[in-house]
Amino acid sequence: MAKTSASRFLIVPAVALQFLAIFVLSVGLLSQAQAQAVDAQKSKVTLALATEPPTLNSAVATDTIASFVLSHLMEGLLVYGSDGELAAGVAERWQLDADGATFWLRDSARWSDGKPVTAHDFVFAWRHALKPSTASQYAFIFYPIKNAEAVNGGQLAATELGVSAVSDHELRVEFAKPCPYFLSLAAFMTFLPLREDVVAHWGGRYAADSDKLVVNGAYVLDKWVHGAHLRLRKNGHYWQKDGVKIHEIDMPYITADPSAQFNLFRDQQIAIAPLDTGLLDEAVERGFNIEYFHTGSLYFLEFNFREGRISSNRAFRKAVQRLIDPDLLVNKIIGLPGVKPAYSLFPVTVKGSEKPFREEYPVMRVDADIAEARKYLKRAKAELGLESWPPLVMLAGDSPRALQEAEYYQYLFKKGLGLELRIDQQVFKQRLEKMRRGDFDIVVAAWGPDYDDIMTFADLFTSWNDNNRGRYDNPLYDRWIRLAQSSNDAKTRFNAMAQIQRIVVEDVPILPTYENGALYVQNPRLKGVRRSIFGGDPNFRYAWIEQ
Amino acid sequence: MAISVFRFAPKTWGAADDLEAVAPIPLPSMANPTVILSGLMVIFLLLFVTVGPSLWRQSPSQQWLSQISEGASRARSVRIVSDNGAWRPSKKADAPSGLKVHAANTEYVRLQWPKLAGIERYRVYRGDADKPGLGLAITETADSYYQDRLQLSSEVYRYTIADADTGLLLLSREVRPEAAMSVFEAQLQGLIPVTNNKTQWVEIPGHPLGTDALGRDILARLMAGGRTSLFVGVVAPLLFITFGCIFGAIAGLMGGWVDQLAMRFVDFVVALPFLLFMILFRVAFGIGPGENGIMPLIVAMLVLSWPGSARLIRGQVLALRSQPFVEASRIAGVSTSRIILRHMLPNVLPMILVAFSFAIPQAIFTEAFLSFIGMGVSPPTTSWGALCNEGIKTLLSHPRQLILPAIFISLSVLAFNILGDALRDATDRRSGVVRA
Repeated sequence: MAKTSASRFLIVPAVALQFLAIFVLSVGLLSQAQAQAVDAQKSKVTLALATEPPTLNSAVATDTIASFVLSHLMEGLLVYGSDGELAAGVAERWQLDADGATFWLRDSARWSDGKPVTAHDFVFAWRHALKPSTASQYAFIFYPIKNAEAVNGGQLAATELGVSAVSDHELRVEFAKPCPYFLSLAAFMTFLPLREDVVAHWGGRYAADSDKLVVNGAYVLDKWVHGAHLRLRKNGHYWQKDGVKIHEIDMPYITADPSAQFNLFRDQQIAIAPLDTGLLDEAVERGFNIEYFHTGSLYFLEFNFREGRISSNRAFRKAVQRLIDPDLLVNKIIGLPGVKPAYSLFPVTVKGSEKPFREEYPVMRVDADIAEARKYLKRAKAELGLESWPPLVMLAGDSPRALQEAEYYQYLFKKGLGLELRIDQQVFKQRLEKMRRGDFDIVVAAWGPDYDDIMTFADLFTSWNDNNRGRYDNPLYDRWIRLAQSSNDAKTRFNAMAQIQRIVVEDVPILPTYENGALYVQNPRLKGVRRSIFGGDPNFRYAWIEQ
Repeated sequence: MAISVFRFAPKTWGAADDLEAVAPIPLPSMANPTVILSGLMVIFLLLFVTVGPSLWRQSPSQQWLSQISEGASRARSVRIVSDNGAWRPSKKADAPSGLKVHAANTEYVRLQWPKLAGIERYRVYRGDADKPGLGLAITETADSYYQDRLQLSSEVYRYTIADADTGLLLLSREVRPEAAMSVFEAQLQGLIPVTNNKTQWVEIPGHPLGTDALGRDILARLMAGGRTSLFVGVVAPLLFITFGCIFGAIAGLMGGWVDQLAMRFVDFVVALPFLLFMILFRVAFGIGPGENGIMPLIVAMLVLSWPGSARLIRGQVLALRSQPFVEASRIAGVSTSRIILRHMLPNVLPMILVAFSFAIPQAIFTEAFLSFIGMGVSPPTTSWGALCNEGIKTLLSHPRQLILPAIFISLSVLAFNILGDALRDATDRRSGVVRA
């Protein structure tokens, strides 16, 4: 596929945002009237949200919070099951070929107003998301579908899109090029169905309030007080409603501060809380059960390749590579179990043809070496013809961890290479804007996978990808990606990916630093909460409360 | 007889013709214990930030990666260890009979244990030996060995191996890692040359107040931070009080429409919101990313904080202007500049001093507050407020990192306030110290 990986998890500032969706419930030791983390009688869970979802319109949503809420409200053709495997959703069965896919929808699937979910709802939703007027940031994720790119660009009418409803219960998709990972795309947020009559009725205000949307998933949105409170209740029309054990998910707290969430958890007001460095010792001391999972996202330093930037010099990037030791960063500075040092563009969670990709194609590890780094820097100085080094600007996030990390780099650059590094701390939106404009030398960035295929990481640094913020342009890199995209053969694809992995180590378009792990504490009575990379995190669809 | 509330500049006394004159009233003594203590505290703080760094020669920005968030420590020698990243026990070595420690230093602890039948995954816990509980689960692994590198310090740890699936505890052992430093870090800190990695031991300095979350010496940071805080605390009031005094004096002396206009302008400035303007000044100054925000901070204070002193001085000057002794001087043909010097200045000077001494703690506090919310200094520069901001993240686990700078802010604000109080009492003749 041409462009890939949108910004769902793009540059997630820190643990706090990774956990965007955090819930809390008190265990209700006192009266029933009080908020309780988990209430076994009412089968209710209370959580805290990090922020309010900017929108619940699946065609335009991009963030982790919306993904979490939508994964409970809606159901796509396929879903992620209790173990994170792809399972049947609205589609009862399906068939995937090199040139297309066919999905047969179940009769029992219903919208929350009782109307059946039909293939037309999917056709409408996908055409709607691709319409230039919708301006969905995730439009590119449809590009494996025939004519999708032209429809999105406005050259073709939406009806030309390679998707059609053969009948009410049969959906036919035609591909523009082979897409062996289409099933995992079909479980993605932007591929969720939409009801044409409801979207047309509310227009731009669709999904702006709890009464302005219809859903087809396990829960309905019962209450939405903007900026303060969300509440989900079990959906009586859901075709699998007997399997939903948690009847109510209440989110009466919205705070991005991990300490505030931890205090709520400690007071048994919420059922799950994320942990950050400063809270870890306290959680251990209190004997809480600390859990972690690999979020699948990669943190890295991205260099700016625009004209006139020092960071476009390879010797300079090599010097930085020999200076920064991901292992040191992870173990000394971050100091959280579950966070892993990264040496490759592909995190260990990426699948290969049979085993994880990183086991099939181990990465070459470059060890930190100050003497080597200084040698490279000297070379860079000569190549650039510099008298002295100007200060470099490092664009970083505004979370406590991001600042700590940036101060560490600042010290390393000063002490190890004698370079002055200025830290430009920006809030998420402003940082994205500055990245887009190329207003940086080095940026601390992150990428979370959108769908379960290696390509979600690999094509990030192709010359045509909008999310290639450093404007890295390497014909060799592009060629390997094109090769992999035009092939349906696993061996060809993964061999090309191994080349990509090698190029990233040798040419250093980015310097991977760590693979993020999320630490959290959870109420021991709450079981079966799925923490996952894909399909909305955390997921309560299969959870239950122990008596 | 009525006594003027105003004082005159020093004059020679003793001529027989002014027997009627009142003897000069001595200033009330400032020598009470609280004031002396505050004075000493101010002197101590000033010495702490000026002389301190030359006595305690540690760089406030040096990050001792091997001593993250440690408590007080003495200077000591540590072993240099080279670490090669991943580790696995050699295949030839027999599986140990119990939990075996291959190496234990603060860079890595290498553990190996026998493979037990029926167990697929092991979970390794690490806890404080003197605390109950298993501690933190540091990893889950299918191998029967593990290398722990996660923020080790030289306290006694208890490692526990458990079955990850059933939670059954299998093996446990206490380990005290030896103080060590990696070759990379020793080279980075300049303790050993980059070409040499044969050195075995190096001396590292102690940290009397411990280190922060990046391994920086807290004592050195308090000195560096205090320098910024006190600099802003003294320079900003100096500027805005001076400006306010001149503005107020002009308004008071000229009177009439000038006074009206000036005072309406003062009202306008008072209405400006400080924080908003602070942000605007940063933008207007073109303070680029990562550059220091001290100058806009001082300018914002200068531009927005002067009205108080201007009003104060104007009121005093207005009152003085209509005093008989001033009128008498004027009728006697004394020049305006002479009147200002002889009559005005001596009478407003105490007020200026008092206003100044109260403005200092206010400025220190404003700087601390702005740095705390991230609007003040940028790293690597620091201030007490910025230190508090860093410390609050580790409040629960290392409260020292917040409490120490907070104590310094409180002490300095308190000391300057007490001094200001005493100064006001000492210069206020209306409070009953007059002996006729």
